[in-house]
Amino acid sequence: MRAALTGLGWVTPLGADLAKVYDSLLAGSVAETRPIQNPETGEVHLARTVPPKLVESLARNPRLRRSSPISYFAVAAAIAALADAGCNPLTPDQAARTAVVFGVSNGGVIYTRRFYEQILKQGANSASPLLFPETVYNAPASHLAAALGIDGASYTLVGDNAVGMSALNLGAQLLALGECDRVVVVGCEEVDWIVCEAFHDWLLAPTPMSEGGSAIVLERDGPISIQTCAGVSFSSRRGAVQALRRAVEGRDAALIVSGSNGSFIDRTEREVFSPQARWLFPKHQLGEAPGASALWQTVLAALAVRARDARDALVPVVGFNQQASCVLIS
Amino acid sequence: MPDSQKRSSRRVAVTGIGVVSPLGINVRENLTGLQEARDAVSDVAMFDVSKCRSKTAGQVLADWQFPGARKEWHRASHFMAAAMTEAQSADPGFAPELAVIGTTSGGMSFGEAFYRMQASKSKDLKRASWLANYMPQKAVLDALGSSGWSTPTQIIANACASGTNALGHAFQLIRAGLHERVVAGGYDAISELVFVGFDSLQASTSERVRPFDAHRTGLVLGEGAAALLLEDWESAIRRGAPIVAEITGYGVATDNFHLTQPNPSGIGPRLAMQRAIQDAGCAVESIDYINAHGTATAFNDATEGMAISQLFGDRVPVSSTKSMMGHSLGAAGAIEAVFSILALRHQFLPPNINYATPDLSWKLDVVSNEARKAELRTAISNSFGFGGTNASLILQAAA
Repeated sequence: MRAALTGLGWVTPLGADLAKVYDSLLAGSVAETRPIQNPETGEVHLARTVPPKLVESLARNPRLRRSSPISYFAVAAAIAALADAGCNPLTPDQAARTAVVFGVSNGGVIYTRRFYEQILKQGANSASPLLFPETVYNAPASHLAAALGIDGASYTLVGDNAVGMSALNLGAQLLALGECDRVVVVGCEEVDWIVCEAFHDWLLAPTPMSEGGSAIVLERDGPISIQTCAGVSFSSRRGAVQALRRAVEGRDAALIVSGSNGSFIDRTEREVFSPQARWLFPKHQLGEAPGASALWQTVLAALAVRARDARDALVPVVGFNQQASCVLIS
Repeated sequence: MPDSQKRSSRRVAVTGIGVVSPLGINVRENLTGLQEARDAVSDVAMFDVSKCRSKTAGQVLADWQFPGARKEWHRASHFMAAAMTEAQSADPGFAPELAVIGTTSGGMSFGEAFYRMQASKSKDLKRASWLANYMPQKAVLDALGSSGWSTPTQIIANACASGTNALGHAFQLIRAGLHERVVAGGYDAISELVFVGFDSLQASTSERVRPFDAHRTGLVLGEGAAALLLEDWESAIRRGAPIVAEITGYGVATDNFHLTQPNPSGIGPRLAMQRAIQDAGCAVESIDYINAHGTATAFNDATEGMAISQLFGDRVPVSSTKSMMGHSLGAAGAIEAVFSILALRHQFLPPNINYATPDLSWKLDVVSNEARKAELRTAISNSFGFGGTNASLILQAAA
């Protein structure tokens, strides 16, 4: 599917300013790690989190007063992308023709873990009804639609860390269907000790886990085009190589914005691509935030094309157990 | 984009259906359950519910397993694989290009097990398997593998509207000519976290579930899966596929009133139904049956009842099949689409059981307590969820 990419926004452990974070990434800056402790076992993990002051500043929307960081990231990234596209706030007419697509992997894991902890420790009758609604995968998309005044299509997609690619593809599909004139595609994740332990146990992210959000506005016309991919499923890590090969077949670019995170994904990319290509490795600097990372890669690629640092850029993404996919920005 | 350019005029056929629900583990058992108005709600024994207000749910038989399942599979994979392979067996020549499946909680009970393990000092080796089988995509990949299919996947998590959104999106892709064949559906399996979640919101009931009844006291949860094979009509005709129904319209609306409560005006359900009818290019008068979302919570039924009443008056029979099997969340829309197809194929109205006292806030023709014979051509199936997601689908008898 093809669409035009007209607005970009992100919230990352290095900050939320498009240009400043772009420059920091190109300069090789690495986001700081912060310790996160499992209070039950005392085990400590290092994660690249969004700076607390930045998180606070994102939480001012009244609809977000009971929500967790993942919703702050979603709303902030989307508003930044719409501003970048020159349409923030949306007029009522624009909102009526705008759709939301939200991609996420772990979802509102902080509230989910807290809610289940309450069930086990305090009993089911003491679990807080304020927490449960925020555990639902589409809670951030709901807050986002409310913040933007959108009452039409809103889709939340779940999946592995290629879910951002699926979200971009669904966004391009909605434009092709004529259901809307603009799609705000958002990918987010928040970090918690349970996520760090899960990815450690599953040998999926030697790179520290991280959090944040990313948003891309898709329209039919614009100077930067994006070619999306439906994804190619695989059922074993060995099969990921073949899946990535099929996903990127016929797509070539001057710049590759890698999904490398120190896991089997690195081997997979190395087998598929030429080492001579020019590479960027944003997860080495920002960490692995499964629902957000693929869109961070995409925003970075688009900024490179927009700044004419590259004529075109390919973003390959290998998910951890579902699919390989990619987008081509030119 | 003008509507004339918006889409081609392709028709969308349903060529196979499969379903697992508390009413049965295949289409035949579910049809019998609907026709006999079976109450499939039973006591929950999977986890401790002693401190919950509700102690019952619609549950798939505890000792049932999908033949050929791997031992590490989550219960949800069994459901989804059984539904998908049943649909495939109805149309063995079907080869999907894409899978669009709805869910709300994936393999949540494995996530719970993982949390319990990580919060303890012991480290069971099973925890890596729990993780791998917890993710929402895993049940879909297991089902596709069981069917011998390998396709791209879109897993939609729009809360309780997920199944209808998955079907509706698949329908739109085929109608617009972007795909020829898509397998779509939904699944969910009961878990402690979600069960207690609805209980904490006081949305679930300790009594029988009584949709649209004046004395309704809330929902009970359910579980299951359904899969529908969707294909471009001409393509299905060309290869002689068995066409069991047609999907003709889809409407969505996002109600921004509150994360968990619908706007009391009923605007969300009303817009979704209106948009679906408009999308199908049919008249309100052509709808013969409404399979309602009908969770039996005070708020949901009030808004949906009002919206139905405003749009249709009391001319169109309405039932909530959740009265028999509970609310299967991400599976509900797909299961209820299958039930609507069964109603169209077998010319009957599925019942709304436990119904005793009409709610005088609206006038509805509720199909109370027993299935009714009826001449049906077109049905609308509603799903509404947390986050203000509202979706309606129009289904038509194959002709």
